[in-house]
Amino acid sequence: MKNRCYIGNLLIGALLFTSCEMFQMDNYAEPKETIKGEIVDAITGERVLTDQSGDGIRIRLRELSWTETETPVNYDFYCMKEGVYQNTKVFKGHYNVRIDGPFIPLVRLNQTTGDTIADETKYIDIKGVTEVNFQVKPFLKVEWAGTPAVSDGKITASFRVTRGISPEDFKAIIEPLGSYNADFLDVTDVRLLVSQVPYVGFSDRDDRYSVVTNYTGDAFNSLLGTTITITTNSNILAGRTVWIRAAARIRYLTENVSRYNYNEAVRVDIPE
Amino acid sequence: MKLKYSIITILFFAGLLTSCKDYLDVPPMNIIQDQDLMSSENGMLIYMARLYSEMPFEDFKYSPQRWFYDDYQVAPGTVEGSSLGRNGAQAMTSEGWVRNSNPWWPIAYRTIRDATNLLENLPTYKGSFNESRYNHFMGEAYFTRAMVYYALAKRWGGVPLVREVLKYPENSVEALETPRSSEEETWEQVLSDFDAAIANLEETSPVRGYSNKYVALAFKSEAMLYAGCISKYNTALNLTGFGEKTGVRVIGFDPSTAQAASKKYFTEAFNAAMRIIKSNKYSLYRNKWAAGDKEAQYQNMIEMFVDINSSENIYIKEYSYPDMPHGYDIYNMASQWATGANGAFNSPTLDLVELYDGIDRNLDGTIKVFDREKDDPNRKYLMFDNLMDIFKNVEPRCRAFVMLPGDTYQNEMIELWHGTYTGDVADGISPLMSFNGEVDYSLATRGKYNTTDAYRGAGEYTQKVLYIDASRSTHEIVTLPDGSSVNASGRCGPYWNDQYGSITGFSLRKAISPNKSKAELASGVEAYDSHHCVLMRYGEVLLNVAEAASELMLAGESRVDGNDLLETAYSAIHDIRERAGADPLAGQADLKGETGRDLIRKERRKELPFENKILWDIRRWRTQHSDNLNGSTQSDGAYYRGLYPFYSTRANKYFFDARFDFFTHRYTLKLNQYYFAIPSGEVSKSPVIDQQPGL
Repeated sequence: MKNRCYIGNLLIGALLFTSCEMFQMDNYAEPKETIKGEIVDAITGERVLTDQSGDGIRIRLRELSWTETETPVNYDFYCMKEGVYQNTKVFKGHYNVRIDGPFIPLVRLNQTTGDTIADETKYIDIKGVTEVNFQVKPFLKVEWAGTPAVSDGKITASFRVTRGISPEDFKAIIEPLGSYNADFLDVTDVRLLVSQVPYVGFSDRDDRYSVVTNYTGDAFNSLLGTTITITTNSNILAGRTVWIRAAARIRYLTENVSRYNYNEAVRVDIPE
Repeated sequence: MKLKYSIITILFFAGLLTSCKDYLDVPPMNIIQDQDLMSSENGMLIYMARLYSEMPFEDFKYSPQRWFYDDYQVAPGTVEGSSLGRNGAQAMTSEGWVRNSNPWWPIAYRTIRDATNLLENLPTYKGSFNESRYNHFMGEAYFTRAMVYYALAKRWGGVPLVREVLKYPENSVEALETPRSSEEETWEQVLSDFDAAIANLEETSPVRGYSNKYVALAFKSEAMLYAGCISKYNTALNLTGFGEKTGVRVIGFDPSTAQAASKKYFTEAFNAAMRIIKSNKYSLYRNKWAAGDKEAQYQNMIEMFVDINSSENIYIKEYSYPDMPHGYDIYNMASQWATGANGAFNSPTLDLVELYDGIDRNLDGTIKVFDREKDDPNRKYLMFDNLMDIFKNVEPRCRAFVMLPGDTYQNEMIELWHGTYTGDVADGISPLMSFNGEVDYSLATRGKYNTTDAYRGAGEYTQKVLYIDASRSTHEIVTLPDGSSVNASGRCGPYWNDQYGSITGFSLRKAISPNKSKAELASGVEAYDSHHCVLMRYGEVLLNVAEAASELMLAGESRVDGNDLLETAYSAIHDIRERAGADPLAGQADLKGETGRDLIRKERRKELPFENKILWDIRRWRTQHSDNLNGSTQSDGAYYRGLYPFYSTRANKYFFDARFDFFTHRYTLKLNQYYFAIPSGEVSKSPVIDQQPGL
């Protein structure tokens, strides 16, 4: 009798153990590889500045060496505002690295059939610290023209917007995809963005001060290359520090998102 | 011991053997089979009950926040710009934020399966019904499928089209995987299912609550307007793309064929609506209506949602207490009557109220609250003897849909006022939105009135002259000239520190019972209501026909099937406006071109708010992200306005301030949010189901 109890207990105990995987150690190596790089204008070599969010440059990793699920799950993260990116928590493996932003898409599909016409994404092994740089053709280029001036809590800033890729080159690449529309190249709006943090951009802006100017049709074409001067809305309190940036975009969507090209963020101190 | 062993072994094998006998292979008696349900009309009643209980109706148990079959905090209008909701503004992109991990998607396919099962198996039992009834039940199955695919398509674009009952485990999971079809194929499926439903359904519902030919026609006209608008306005935004796994165009139409497609769908919408109009079975509700009598016209539009036999009702959903109640009244009731924690979820915006006729306006069309234009530094508030005077000439339809300050409900004055002003009035009252001596109505300050100079006794004011209740239980007491004392704010709010009063200075009236008992409201029971919900009414059919006609005129047509488009649109809008007590149109020319189309759209926003229609209209027009809302757009983040009434003790008069809602509900929508993301679990577990391109 005693014996039977003993065996019974043992069996129950064994059952408990074997049925619970929670006692097993997760011995899968932690993701500790690093991928980093920069995104530069293929012509000028300058970095493509962006917004730090889904509205800016998105980096998409797809782990092709992963075979346990049917298709790899997209691993997305976003570029820093200076046009550089880094992710230090990546599993070792073979990857497809794709970026989307305010530049000619790396993956271009036939707009009637969906077939891939061009794929300029990178297929690489990520191991240790892997550097992957991209050369792209940005739609627009935004540059400061002089130093912002502050008067009575309002900032007046001047900048220029030019095309990063000429209309001819744009058309030569995009038109063969089909469903081409001449209005893709229209500049739809120009903004002067103000934020209380250095990460100023469309997604981090203070609507009280930021200014947007919309343009219909190709009305902005005559302003390309000219100096545009914008004064912010409302008075920023004296003694505050803000960061400002100018941005512009064209009608063409990348991955169904309308994205801006930017100039670099500038710190402005409102005098006491 | 040995014997026991043998017996157990023998029994064990015996068990194995007998289970293979055919005579034991009978269906379990406690599970209802197709043959039990499909062989009689009573059985079909049960089958239909299940189909209808899962139908994606946007009724009193639908909210964009929590989807279908859930009556909690139902407050229609709060995502379409018609009103603001107390629990935060939930823009359409967040439909189902509560349900993101448990969305409606799997339920939709279960309902499709039930409908398809009926289509496949009912023919076996055809002999149990007369021909017309048999056809009707087949029609019900098509109608169900059409409604579900329509509800799927307007949210996700192209979806998997399952046209037969998938048999598992007879087939492997791999063999049953169904990828998303293109958006165009999905709308084609909606069209063909509606057409099959219309061909099969009987003229009148054989059982109360069942569908019929005209119900299907009406929903078809609505769905085809949606399809037509997507193929036209979505294509104009270049919002399209191909699935990563399949290469199928899962959202958007092929730009090269989109124009033809839009014309086809608008024609379908027009013809479906015309068949209802020509049937003469329905009419605009006018039982209490009288020409030139605004009070009667107002009463008529209250009654039309109460009268269950209204000639305008094409399809209604009925409820019953206590088995199947809803909480529409208590959630939407102004706090004067809803004394519990559940009232006042629905505060109509000034933006909606300003759409209606009969309001004095500034040059820019906004409501006139000052004696001079809005930016004149010397402007003073207009003073009104009665709270309701600012709306004394308003279009009756507005009163019937929105509780206005000072109007009457259940023989009580609706006490909507924000605060009490005790200052001097000899030279008029200057704008209250003054902060340290500077008047500012811009988005920049958005300050609540308890931060203004008048409240704090700062700037021009040497002492506090403005009193406001912080919440419905925290009052500021004001002594009146006659010595009596009152609370500073009305019993419906607004209050500056809680949202249990109105947020905007208005409350919802539409479809609320005219005689809801206070005892019920105070009981704390949320689901206490059983009045019906109008899901489809003739008024919408008229607006559908007018909009389809306008779109067809823009596409270059002037007649369809012998019907003059301009004349049809004019007579529809004319009738709607006449019944509503709105200013009449000048003539047919008003409805020409894009201005005519916009006028029809505006009429829709005036007639159908709070019915879960407008939220889909602004999405199919693809104007939700781009409409100018008080100087901003939803793609940047936009704000709505309220109208805040005040009482002046010295003048014994009322005045009003129009400004941004001071709880600053912000509405945003990005282009790629017009299509909802496919539930991520469905994408990751399937080798063929695509996420939206770009996401």
